[in-house]
Amino acid sequence: MNISGHIAAVFAMAAFSTAAAAQYRVEGRITDKAGQPLAGAAVIVRGLEGCGTIADTEGMYSIGIPDNEGHSITVSFIGFLTQSRLVKPGNASGIDFSLQENTAALEQVVVTGTRTPKTLMDVPIVTKVISAHDIARSDASDIQDLLITELPGIEFSWSMDQQVNVNLQGFGGSSVLFLIDGERIAGETLDNIDYSRLNLDNVERIEIVKGGASSLYGSNAVGGVINLITKEQTEPWTVDLSTRFGAHNEQRHDINAGFAQGKISNVINVQMTGIDSYDVGGTGDFSTVYGNRTLTVKDRIVYTPTGRLKITGRAGWYQRERDADAIVKDRYRDINGGIKGSYTISDCGNMELAYSYDEYNKSDFMSNTGADILNYSNVQHSVRTVFNYTFGKTGTLTAGGDFMNDYLLSYQFKDGGSHSQFTADGFAQFDWNVTEEFNVIGALRYDFFSEKRTGSISPKLGLMYRIDSGKAGHFAFRGSYSKGFRAPTLKEMYMSFDMASIFMIYGNPDLLSEASHNLTLSAEYFKRYFNVTVSGYYSMVRNGITTIWNDSLNSMRYANDSPSNIASADVTFSMRLPCGIGTKLAYTFSHEYKPDGSPSMSSVRPHSLTARIEYAREWKNYGFNVSLSGRYLSGFTTHVYSDSSYETLERQKYPGYTMWKLLLGQDIWKGIRLNLTIDNLFNYIPDYYYNNSPATTGTAFAAGLALSVEDIFRTIRK
Amino acid sequence: MNRNPFIMAVVAAGTAMLLLSCEGGILGGLYDEPEPVSEYGFIRKETSTGHGEIYINTSGYTYWVYLDFLNAEADSVNIISHDEEPDSWDIAVHRYDTKTNGGAVAMTSFADIDYFAESGHVPEDNEFIEDIMTEDVIAVDMSGMMDGNIIYVSDFYNPELSEWLDVDTSVMPPIYTRSDHVFILRLSDGRHVALKLENHMDNHGVKGYMTILYRTLETPDNGK
Repeated sequence: MNISGHIAAVFAMAAFSTAAAAQYRVEGRITDKAGQPLAGAAVIVRGLEGCGTIADTEGMYSIGIPDNEGHSITVSFIGFLTQSRLVKPGNASGIDFSLQENTAALEQVVVTGTRTPKTLMDVPIVTKVISAHDIARSDASDIQDLLITELPGIEFSWSMDQQVNVNLQGFGGSSVLFLIDGERIAGETLDNIDYSRLNLDNVERIEIVKGGASSLYGSNAVGGVINLITKEQTEPWTVDLSTRFGAHNEQRHDINAGFAQGKISNVINVQMTGIDSYDVGGTGDFSTVYGNRTLTVKDRIVYTPTGRLKITGRAGWYQRERDADAIVKDRYRDINGGIKGSYTISDCGNMELAYSYDEYNKSDFMSNTGADILNYSNVQHSVRTVFNYTFGKTGTLTAGGDFMNDYLLSYQFKDGGSHSQFTADGFAQFDWNVTEEFNVIGALRYDFFSEKRTGSISPKLGLMYRIDSGKAGHFAFRGSYSKGFRAPTLKEMYMSFDMASIFMIYGNPDLLSEASHNLTLSAEYFKRYFNVTVSGYYSMVRNGITTIWNDSLNSMRYANDSPSNIASADVTFSMRLPCGIGTKLAYTFSHEYKPDGSPSMSSVRPHSLTARIEYAREWKNYGFNVSLSGRYLSGFTTHVYSDSSYETLERQKYPGYTMWKLLLGQDIWKGIRLNLTIDNLFNYIPDYYYNNSPATTGTAFAAGLALSVEDIFRTIRK
Repeated sequence: MNRNPFIMAVVAAGTAMLLLSCEGGILGGLYDEPEPVSEYGFIRKETSTGHGEIYINTSGYTYWVYLDFLNAEADSVNIISHDEEPDSWDIAVHRYDTKTNGGAVAMTSFADIDYFAESGHVPEDNEFIEDIMTEDVIAVDMSGMMDGNIIYVSDFYNPELSEWLDVDTSVMPPIYTRSDHVFILRLSDGRHVALKLENHMDNHGVKGYMTILYRTLETPDNGK
């Protein structure tokens, strides 16, 4: 039966239940785990044919039971796991249901792969989703902790000075584009954005598209896009408080407050985090892990003056201080804001116009004098527009353009100077439903960079064939070619940096754009409570930009590297059963090599695996979940510069490791959640702390408490 | 006529134009721009008997900076051109390396130079470390480091006083760890001078600029 059929049947049942002479009534509210009402959720009484109803816009339901017997009430809603509960006369009010998202659901809406909302079932580009449920269940302390738990093939390590470096199956920080609600993030350190800015609080989901995506996102989308989608306020009011304590005085405190009244809604989030410096107590590339403290404030306001127009304004502040030196504290600040208008032209078309501002600064705070000295500032002004038009069932046209002014002041430029450039682009994509089962998507984009006066054309072609076999499940086969590119940054073109009075690092204005050609094949199988996905990726990277020792300059200089190829494959299995058992297993194989036979300096681990198994139960005033999650990263051998010279390479072997986490989460009463975590369960301690080793000192404990004031208030009122 | 799209475009374009006028950002007012310090040498003298603060530029690999506590004088001497050292000097600093003029140095457990001076404590003789002759410590040319060719000169070096700053060059950028301890310098003429490295950076955080606290101790041997 299709969705409309279900709804019609439920309405018929609702009519029947109203007409029947009720002996007692069962009443309550149906929400998701975040407390959002699930309007339209179906409620049926097992064993009483035709006895049912649906929840109203507030998630409230009321159903009459025609006899005086106890019955099992079952609640279901698309995209969520079905729940049942026993009711009996005298205990039939306040029967609330808090449904869990079904992470294997086909109905999950995603936007990153096509820049238009599509369900996972319909999206022609392979998209992975980390849902709010996954985020909550992982008890991740930050975005890095979350991604390494949920996504095999991604690794966060340190480059020099303990600056964080990402590696997504061979693609580094400059080749993986991180977005927040589709917006770029200013600033970088050693080619990586400041990942501490990616605050997980109030995140609805994270979408990951591997492979080149420059036809929609332009420069930097060489190896993939990771897009954080934030929640929108729908409740009349909410106040959520949470706190978490871990090893080495690690702390995280969040306040979320929101309201929705008439045409206006607003949500504000304040987060403070911190961890002390600590010694790892072993030998290695580092002995002390630098502590730091962050403060993040973000506010989002939505004004809907008419049914067709929606204006979203946002503002954010971020600051972090790092204890890398006794006297000089590294300070990082960001201020950002934006305004976006979305206008529905007709039932078929809509357009969006947005302006975004992002300023990211780095400074040295001299604790002995109190002086705070700016040494880096990246300021980005962006204007973008996108237009969607749907031609009935035939397909959707998406077209748009972006303009960005990029200003960079840096201590790495001569005399601490600055450079700026603008980029402009236009793109078009057509998502064509050739038949109900067969879909073709094609896109083309042109980007122009003022400083080099050069452009880049990025095409994409994707095919999807889908089979809906009813009870046998859904099959989807996808294949795509896409180009990714990365234009040389201002830093790479103009750097002139004295490295500790030992050597210079020079930029190179003659650099060519880095480009990747990406092929993807995938097969997915979905059935009600589980899915299996097998994907293969092949990327050819040309003109990779890196620093290479230059004999004539007797210094490092940015240059285009020799070609490299990356072959990888993923297998993912996830399942969540209504009885409360869930599991997710994901394995990735990656192999990066140089087609010209030159020694590879790749830091890709060939094998990685993530796993989680969990069990959850819920009663009226108490629920719990226990989950065991872990990851395995294989060892690997690569080439590094020898200790004595940058002209010779030597083989270096890095060990593999596995780390596991045990979590007990408890929902006490209503609106109170307590998490207790044992991290590094099997007490893994590296023999030698390489920069890609986990900075662990052994088994550690963490505890977190979250309060939903709105839920508590509602329960008290009852 | 529906004015919504027009209003939306005007608001967005107006905002964009307004903020494009501040291309270099809006947070500049938060930061300080300290005046560069151009005064070097014995920049603060508390008394005529040798008590104060020294600020020297040791960023060059090819210089020794000689310090004379008795006369409160500092002189830079080029190593490569074999310039003559001053007639009178007590210690010399090259980058963060040190040597003494026939003296010896001991590290104390004190962190405050005045507390140490007032304590009257003097380490035992066997705690004082004299200079050693080295062949591979005083680097004068780092340009060949990446080829494994650092050029050193033979010179004396005091390993104890040089512990006032540990420079770990096994990683990039090097890690600088400053000692909190007060050091006591025993000179060949019997004077004792307490020393503490207060900072190794200028007021912009640029390394290679040493701020040294010194205090000549009132011991029976001083000034004999």
